[in-house]
Amino acid sequence: MRLVLPILRSCQLMAVLLLAASAPGVMAHHSFAVHFVDDRVIDVSGTVTAFRFANPHGMLAFDVRKEDGSVEHWRAETNSPNVLRRRGWSKDSLQPGDSITVTGFPSRDGTPYMRISRVKFADGRELVGQGMAAPADDKE
Amino acid sequence: MKLLAVATLLPPLLLAPLARAADAVPRLEGFWTQSFAPGPEVEQLRAKLPAGTLVINDAGGLELREGDYGGLVLSEAAKAEIRNYDFKNELSREFACTVPSVVMNMQAPFPLEILQDEKLIVLRLEYFDMVRIIHLDGRGHPPADAPHSKAGHSIGHWEGDELVVDTTHLLAGSFLNNGFSHSEDLHFVERFRLGADGRTLHASQLSEDPAVFEGKAARLVSWRKGDDYIYPYECDPSFAEVGEPLE
Repeated sequence: MRLVLPILRSCQLMAVLLLAASAPGVMAHHSFAVHFVDDRVIDVSGTVTAFRFANPHGMLAFDVRKEDGSVEHWRAETNSPNVLRRRGWSKDSLQPGDSITVTGFPSRDGTPYMRISRVKFADGRELVGQGMAAPADDKE
Repeated sequence: MKLLAVATLLPPLLLAPLARAADAVPRLEGFWTQSFAPGPEVEQLRAKLPAGTLVINDAGGLELREGDYGGLVLSEAAKAEIRNYDFKNELSREFACTVPSVVMNMQAPFPLEILQDEKLIVLRLEYFDMVRIIHLDGRGHPPADAPHSKAGHSIGHWEGDELVVDTTHLLAGSFLNNGFSHSEDLHFVERFRLGADGRTLHASQLSEDPAVFEGKAARLVSWRKGDDYIYPYECDPSFAEVGEPLE
């Protein structure tokens, strides 16, 4: 019995250590600096297919017709709609069928995904999203 | 008639000491939005930080990249947690609306509204609709095993013109928004100070959490007074699913 108890305790301790080592960590709201290239923007032109304007980020889906005729599906997130509402954005700012050019920070993993810096419409109108120098009121 | 006159005068006379007490401290109430033109008050607050405190320059829009912990010396437990952190999960329906702890929230680039009474200050933070209650009635923190939350338990007192807020009982949460989290034992101490013109507010935010990093760390944050109001945040965890490729 004297031998069994220490062994059990060792096993329990080992189990706790293994659990701690495999814990997924405390998840957080996603980081701009981790997910996006933060010192370079790209321009992508296409046609809006969907737009949702809700926190933590608005989400724009748009289709890009490539030179070979195929269509690439892009998605672009905005910074917080709370920030953008104070700049004149609304849930109706982008409509399916709108022809747009999105300037944004590309995803670090190379997928067709970006953080919007600005959206330019065919008629010249513009929506301003996250600043190029990532000013402090823009991060979220 | 004399009795009536005395009765009429009595309430104001009784209330006068209370009014003076409330007037004796700076009035922080109002709508505040983060400012990036810190005044000399920030340097005064910096000078009051304990010797050896590491000031992390990531408040507002200045996020640190993956692997950059601002000079913090992390514990082995923290390093192990970071190794297991999966950034892809951050956009999932399960985690997209994870409420940040007050440590992240108080430096985020969102407005806050302050409501002030003699024995209570309320901070309404726009980011994730967080509400903080700062008790100024002399109470202490609850027992260590009392429930924890993302806002924690806050008690405050005035030191001259500065409001000192001491927060404990925090649930673990992101510390730098890049995979590094603080523990439930984080001790968070803020010093708030009004600018000379009363239109700016400044704070030092001191953190101590020996379970995950050595020594003390702090942020310095400023706000400017505005005439707006707090918008609802109402986080929608499905935001990332718009236009998501079909599996």
